[in-house]
Amino acid sequence: MTDRSESFFWNGQRISFEPADTIAAALERAGVTDFGAGQGPCNARYFCGIGACQACVVSVGGTPAEACLTPAQAGQQVRTLKPVRQ
Amino acid sequence: MRSMDVLVIGGGPAGVAAAAEMARSGLKVTLCEQGGALGGAIHRQPGNPARAVPVPRAQSARWHKLSALLAKTDAEVLTFHAFIGLDATGAVLVEDRRQGRLLVLRVRALVLAVGGLERVVPRPGWHLPGVVTVGGLQVMMKVTGRGPAGSVLLAGSGPLLLAVAAQMTALGAPPLAILERSRQVLSPLRAAPLLLWPRYLAEAAGYMRRLMQAGVPWRLGSSVQTIRPTDDGRLETVIVDGAGAVSRIVVDKVALHDGLRSNSDGLPPAAHATDRNPHVVLAGDCREALGGVAAIADGRNAAQQVIARLTGAPPMSSASRRIVDTERRAQQALANIFDFGIPDLLKLPDETILCRCEGRTVGALRQMLATDDQPSPREIKLNGRIGMGSCQGRFCVEWAGAMLAQQTCSAQPAGAEFIGNRWPSRPVAIRSLLGPAVADAISSIPPNESD
Ligand SMILES: Cc1cc2nc3c(=O)[nH]c(=O)nc-3n(C[C@H](O)[C@H](O)[C@H](O)COP(=O)(O)OP(=O)(O)OC[C@H]3O[C@@H](n4cnc5c(N)ncnc54)[C@H](O)[C@@H]3O)c2cc1C
Ligand code: FES
Repeated sequence: MTDRSESFFWNGQRISFEPADTIAAALERAGVTDFGAGQGPCNARYFCGIGACQACVVSVGGTPAEACLTPAQAGQQVRTLKPVRQ
Repeated sequence: MRSMDVLVIGGGPAGVAAAAEMARSGLKVTLCEQGGALGGAIHRQPGNPARAVPVPRAQSARWHKLSALLAKTDAEVLTFHAFIGLDATGAVLVEDRRQGRLLVLRVRALVLAVGGLERVVPRPGWHLPGVVTVGGLQVMMKVTGRGPAGSVLLAGSGPLLLAVAAQMTALGAPPLAILERSRQVLSPLRAAPLLLWPRYLAEAAGYMRRLMQAGVPWRLGSSVQTIRPTDDGRLETVIVDGAGAVSRIVVDKVALHDGLRSNSDGLPPAAHATDRNPHVVLAGDCREALGGVAAIADGRNAAQQVIARLTGAPPMSSASRRIVDTERRAQQALANIFDFGIPDLLKLPDETILCRCEGRTVGALRQMLATDDQPSPREIKLNGRIGMGSCQGRFCVEWAGAMLAQQTCSAQPAGAEFIGNRWPSRPVAIRSLLGPAVADAISSIPPNESD
């Protein structure tokens, strides 16, 4: 139905995305709502959608970036910000 | 990047209107947007144009007109460029997020049109994954053209709940219910002033028709009090209705919204130019949250101020100012039927997260407030780490201020008393700060020659 040829990696797992998807939109479609350990004690997750709350910051190719603002790119390595705490 | 007179920050209706108006007057204008496309919160464009979320016709017509106006000018548009701050030397710092570098720009005027914020009143569990703002849910729908998967509850107060519920319904994903905290929405006495703004009434009637056809309940007087994670990754909500009856319901997503507010904390204040600084003008929802129609008029106002200051041209017509005043009255009429008040936050359980970034709780602030020396807003921030996190207090200082006021029966301090307005006004990647700064756009350096 839709062209699902493009994908990036979320903690090593392949995530398909569509043109103009942000990382957050592609993760949402893949059913990933909990982005794992975040910048503070609360887990990273999508919240405001406009780059204001900083809750969705993940590591994009090694640099912290808001998943809600950053476009998905083929082959990109996107990860939880920090190793998961116990 | 080229030499410029004016830098406009934010590609929503206010920023686009300001940029178009100034460029038409002959000023050299550059517009920076942190995201990938213009449109802002209300005119967010779909990734796939064939899959657009239905919006009122007048709303999309406004955006078409505005973006066509901008396209006819020579204003330069830079996407993925985020404003970081105005430094002590009067230079404007902008992060080029694609290249991961910092631009240090000298301009004659700076128009800040970074948009407003949604208010979300804290409650236990509001920090959990799966809890989003209503506008955040809408942004996701506008970008993907799809409704959210699973069962969704919309809760809080305001017209945006109706708009988003109707859009979800049109996409085949209606919410389970809209819980509207206000009981007064349909009170004829309170709603009467809205008759002066038939545009809002017609929009609301359209949304309500769609929701009634789909059988989506709009429960007045109801609110979500608590959200807890379930073992299978869903969310259990505790709902209190208008009669005080408590019920529980398990959902996949909870979308919260308690109105919109301005977003000027952390921004440099509006000011005339000095021997160092450019003129600074704020426009649109970041200055005062008055909605999409006002944002366009306010952008034009800002443009006229800048044009007058830079060219000495006499101030132009007051038509835009009148639109802003009219829209302010419309927002007041809306605020009269919805419930944007702050509930008694001192009643929240201790473990409720207050500052989402730093994970600081209501209990921690309560303890600080219980001492004999009342802490100042700055002390609450510096010692209590409330408002210290990366959102820079945008989602907690209103509530910390309200708790302070409720505890001490005093006036609520302004957000700026917590935050101040030093740069960076938003987090910036360290690599951009450490990398070679691209200085002075007036003698601009093309990207590949800078290193
Ligand atoms: C999430 C959300 C959804 C909304 N939905 C509706 C709706 O459906 N209907 C309605 O009538 N009203 C809606 N509103 C209100 C409406 O968006 C505003 O009244 C109107 O869009 C304000 O226009 P603006 O240009 O002032 O700001 P915005 O439209 O918010 O535009 C601000 C722009 O600035 C950019 N920006 C922010 N910070 C920076 C930075 N540091 N550097 C560079 N760029 C930056 C943002 O990415 C954005 O594109 C919504 C508001 C929000 C917050
Ligand atoms: S969801 Fe708030 S910054 Fe991305």
